[in-house]
Amino acid sequence: MGAITPLGANRHSTFAGALEGRSGIAPAAESISKWLPHVLTAAVAENPETLLDAKCAGLDRATQFALVAAHEAMAAAGIAPKPDDAERFGVFCGIGFGGAQSVDALYTRFFNALSGTSVPKKNPTIMHPLSVPRMMANAPAAMISMHYGLRGPSYTYSVACASSAIAIGEAYRAIRHGYIDAAVIVGTEAMLTPGALMAWNALRVLAKPDLVDPSRSCRPFSVDRNGFVLAEGAAAIVLESETRALQRQANPLAEIGGYGCTSDANHLTAGTEIEQARAIRQALDEARLEADQVQYLNAHGTATELGDVVEARSIRLAFGEAADKLAVSATKSMHGHLIGASGILEFVIAVMAMNSGSIPPTANLENVDPRCELDFVPLIARHGCAINAVMSNSFAFGGSNASLLARKYA
Amino acid sequence: MLNTIVNNYLVNTKKIDPSLLENPHLRVAELGLDSLDLVEMLFEIEDRCGFQLPDPMRYTEMSYAEMLSDMESVIRQHYNGELPELMTAEAKS
Repeated sequence: MGAITPLGANRHSTFAGALEGRSGIAPAAESISKWLPHVLTAAVAENPETLLDAKCAGLDRATQFALVAAHEAMAAAGIAPKPDDAERFGVFCGIGFGGAQSVDALYTRFFNALSGTSVPKKNPTIMHPLSVPRMMANAPAAMISMHYGLRGPSYTYSVACASSAIAIGEAYRAIRHGYIDAAVIVGTEAMLTPGALMAWNALRVLAKPDLVDPSRSCRPFSVDRNGFVLAEGAAAIVLESETRALQRQANPLAEIGGYGCTSDANHLTAGTEIEQARAIRQALDEARLEADQVQYLNAHGTATELGDVVEARSIRLAFGEAADKLAVSATKSMHGHLIGASGILEFVIAVMAMNSGSIPPTANLENVDPRCELDFVPLIARHGCAINAVMSNSFAFGGSNASLLARKYA
Repeated sequence: MLNTIVNNYLVNTKKIDPSLLENPHLRVAELGLDSLDLVEMLFEIEDRCGFQLPDPMRYTEMSYAEMLSDMESVIRQHYNGELPELMTAEAKS
C-alpha cells in the first residue's frame, strides 16, 4: 500500500497523522484565497516532483501523486517493473476530475496571452502539445502502466467520490473472475485550483472556517458540521490472487472479502439510505460475514447536513443491532476530502487500523448530531483493538455507492 | 425588483405554475425545491449582485415574500442601502 496525502508523504506518516488526530486542513494558498478568502483546503505539503524522476516534471500533479503512491505500494509489495506475468497484471485508477491543474493552466495561459502586454503580442491559441495527454483522465493509469510495463487492462473509473473505491472493487472482481492475476490500484486527485474551488464554493458544500482554529473546521457527524474541505493526494494498493501471492511467497496485508456497489437513481447530490445500506449488505454477504463480525468502518462522512444523517441511517439499516458495537470514524475530518482518491485512502487507513489494532478518531467531534447516534471514536484514537474485518464506505455525487470489506488473511 | 428575476427562474427553469407565485402566503418549502435548485435560484441573483448570499437552506423556513424581502435586505446591506444598477435595470426589462 502507498499514499501521499495532506497528512504525510507516505502511508505510515499518513496513518500516524490520523492516529494523532493531526489535521492537514489550512487556509487555501494565496492563488485561491485572493479570490475566496474564507476557503480552506487540505494540500499535500511535499512537492511530488521531488519524489519522482526529473522526466515526470511535466506531468499533471494528479499523475505525479499517482506515481508516488504506486511506487510506494509496488515497492512494499516487492514488485519490480516488467514482472514476468505483465500480461496478467492490470492498472485500475480512480479519479474525479482528471488533470484539473493542466486544464486550469491552459485557460490561464490563454487569458494571459490575450490580455498580455508582450511585444509582439503572443498568439493565445498556441498551446503546449502535451496539454491533452496531461489533462486526460486516464493519464495516471497510462503512466503507471508504462512505468511498470504492465500489459493487462488499464482502466480509469470516474465516479466522483467513489471513483477509487470502485476501482478497488472492479479490480477485485477482475482477479476473482480470472481476467487478470494482479493489479495496482490507484486513486488520485489534484484540483486545488482557483477555478475548481470557485465551482465547489458555489455548490455550498465546503466547510466554513472555525474562527478559533481553521484546522478544526471539518466536523463530520457533529451537530455543528457545515461541510467538507477539498483535499488532494493519492493512495495505492497492490492486489493479487491468492495463488499468485502464495507462489511468490508474498506476505499479504489483508484479503478483500466483499464489494458492494449500487446506484440511488434518485438525485445528483442527496444519497438514499436504502441503496447505501444495500451496498454495505452486498459487501457483507459476499464476504459471508455477519454484521457483528466487522469491528471498524471508515465512513464516507463528508460533514454535510444531509449526507451524514443518511449515512448514519444506512449503517444502522445494514448492521442492525451490530451497529451499536461497530467503531465508525470519519477521517476526512483530518485529511480532507480527496474526492477521487478518498475511497482508496480511507480503505488503506481501514486496513492499517485492522493490522495495527489502532482506530483513528473522528476529529473535532465534540457534540454528536442526535440524528447520527453511532460510536464515532470521537477526538481520540482507540488502541489495542481486536479487529478481524473492516469496511470502508464511499458514496458519490450522482448517487453511486460503494462499500468494501477487508479481513485478515488467514 | 428581485421578484421578477426569481419568478422568471422558477417559471422558466423549474416550470413552476406562475399563479402559485401570486399567493401572498406561499411558503418556499411549497415550491418543491431541493438544495441544488435553491443554490441555482440564488445564482440568478448572485450573478447580478456580485456576491454570494449566505446559508441558502434558511430560505426553506420562510414564506416566499419573506425570502424576497430577506434577499433585498442582504443586497442593500452589502451596497450601503442601495440596490446595484444591474438589478434594477433587470427588473425594469
